Amino acid sequence: MRIGIVGTGFMGTTHAAGWAETGATIAGFAAETTESAEPLAAEYDAKVYADLEAMLEDVDVVDICTPTHLHRDMVLQAAAAGKDVICEKPLARTTAQAREAVRAAREAGVRLLVAHVVRYFPEYALAQQTVAAGDIGRPGVVRLRRGSYRPKKPIGNWFLDEEKSGGILMDLMIHDFDYARWIAGDVESVFARKVTQGAPDAPVDYGLAILRHRDGALSHVAGAWAYPPPTFRTGLEIAGDAGLVEFDSEATAPITNLIRAPEGDDAPDVALPASPTSESPFTTQIKEFYEALRHDRPARVAAEDGLAAVQIAEAAIESAATGRAVTLDPLPEVQS
Amino acid sequence: MKIGILSFAHHHAEAYIDNLQAIDGAELMGVADEDVARRRRFAERYDAPFFETYGALLEAGPDGVIICSENNRHRPLVEQAAAADVHVLCEKPLATTLEDARAIVDACDAAGVLLMTAFPLRFSTPLVQIKEQLDTGALGEVYAFKGVNQGELPTAHREWFIDPVRAGGGAVMDHTVHLVDIMRWYLNSEVREIYAQTNQIFHADEVEVETGALEMLTFENGVFATIDASWSRPPYWPTWGGLGFEMVTERGAVIVDAFSQNLTVYEHTTERARWLPWGSDTNQAMIEEFVAAVREGRTPRVTGMDGYRAVEAALAAYQSAASGQPVRLE
Repeated sequence: MRIGIVGTGFMGTTHAAGWAETGATIAGFAAETTESAEPLAAEYDAKVYADLEAMLEDVDVVDICTPTHLHRDMVLQAAAAGKDVICEKPLARTTAQAREAVRAAREAGVRLLVAHVVRYFPEYALAQQTVAAGDIGRPGVVRLRRGSYRPKKPIGNWFLDEEKSGGILMDLMIHDFDYARWIAGDVESVFARKVTQGAPDAPVDYGLAILRHRDGALSHVAGAWAYPPPTFRTGLEIAGDAGLVEFDSEATAPITNLIRAPEGDDAPDVALPASPTSESPFTTQIKEFYEALRHDRPARVAAEDGLAAVQIAEAAIESAATGRAVTLDPLPEVQS
Repeated sequence: MKIGILSFAHHHAEAYIDNLQAIDGAELMGVADEDVARRRRFAERYDAPFFETYGALLEAGPDGVIICSENNRHRPLVEQAAAADVHVLCEKPLATTLEDARAIVDACDAAGVLLMTAFPLRFSTPLVQIKEQLDTGALGEVYAFKGVNQGELPTAHREWFIDPVRAGGGAVMDHTVHLVDIMRWYLNSEVREIYAQTNQIFHADEVEVETGALEMLTFENGVFATIDASWSRPPYWPTWGGLGFEMVTERGAVIVDAFSQNLTVYEHTTERARWLPWGSDTNQAMIEEFVAAVREGRTPRVTGMDGYRAVEAALAAYQSAASGQPVRLE
């Protein structure tokens, strides 16, 4: 299985490390400039391609790790060439684009797997298993939070360009929108607010969303790009009618490091949660994708899940902009 | 300074007796409860004069009374006290309808007696510390709050807490008002709009009221805030529930848990963990403020209008839950 990775930023680098742990071969990388792809190509003894088009004939799978607004076109391009596709979350910048991507993959008969990595974090996967096993009964109120600092990038910080990334409600909170749906099912309505809606020049951003699921459960999702670097905190609380499961990244950290950092030791551009485990959740995810493609079996997250998550995030953006609750139309592509 | 207690319907009355007895110069002049069974039960437990009617206690000449009746019975007792020229500290929520809340405020205004709403968290030392830091500007401009006031099903304390008539509702009426009051106090701004979603998944077979509730408030100054008012704590949780919030400002965030000053105790007898609070007693400070305000003839730090505003928000939350859209406060 030959993999071509498009995008060599943070996620392209992380995915490459995952693929290196599988039986697949990294054929090469394509990036905005060939220079930015060269270090990774050298590390994995792979080629540098001028762009996705140039890579297509050498690969079986295209792994899209580019900024969100480029996802749809790249999925369409790879699918049209008959390539299976891995796509970073969010699947696309808008619901309409995500639907196009799902339909294109179906029509081309190729796989489309969306990298909702939170489903592969052991604490989140275990909580889902606990709920699915019925241990806490029927979920009533789900609380999910994820908080860090604003993504920094020396140049071209597309995260902060809402046209490209969708901002905090799309880029950060989609993780927990997807997880909420995994736990409590399809979402009926969304109400959301975020700091930069009313205060566009605020030095931080913060979003809050209330979801109502079709079966009556409620979810509360909070996302922060507001904390001092290098903070990254997450938490979940799922209260059911027969119990409760909770996780707090601070309360369950096995190591508390109070060692003084050397002068000038800067936080990374994009914060990632990191509780020490024998395998990175990003690698667990890539390994599952590899096996899913190799044996033509499902992964725990389907293309339709990626689409449904974009729809929730888009509704949150609309709600924050209009001040109204947004009702979600059932998606014909998604089987409830 | 003679203080009486009207009704034992609310379990806080039990704490207030102890609080009053700890104050120099304050005297618990009596307790009245027109519920015969309740009066018998508590008369045996406390060393205080018991009156068979509220009128009889009021005629005995208290300077102030603490009203701990069911929520929907606050209004007649406040009106009775005001008519007798007696100052009032009323348990929260001030009333179950806006009409009653207004009548309570008006009755005390007209009689010229003080009216204080029992919001003990205004006297929480951690919360007061945050308020002081906000006022000095040390925390920067506030943008948002993420609040939680979750609890267990409150029937462990009193059965009527889940009665839609006597309590005025379920989780929304019970657990909206504290955080609304704290945020109004912190922000010096009123709630402009509220959105709420409720459900009845926890204890579905035991109650007729909502047990799950998420709310989003927007204040006049643009600050937005969520409140989780759910009765989502299992009955074997280490304590009754809790109250806390994350406050996001231009400089970052402050995370506050008003009740995290506690020991964790594990006992062979119960085979479960229990939280034993050691933080400063908020009820004590609140009762002291009431006594001091009465003594000094000044407006208490929490007023009747504060209680009115919190009820207004809770009632609007019910309207929003019914309509599915945010409701603007007038």
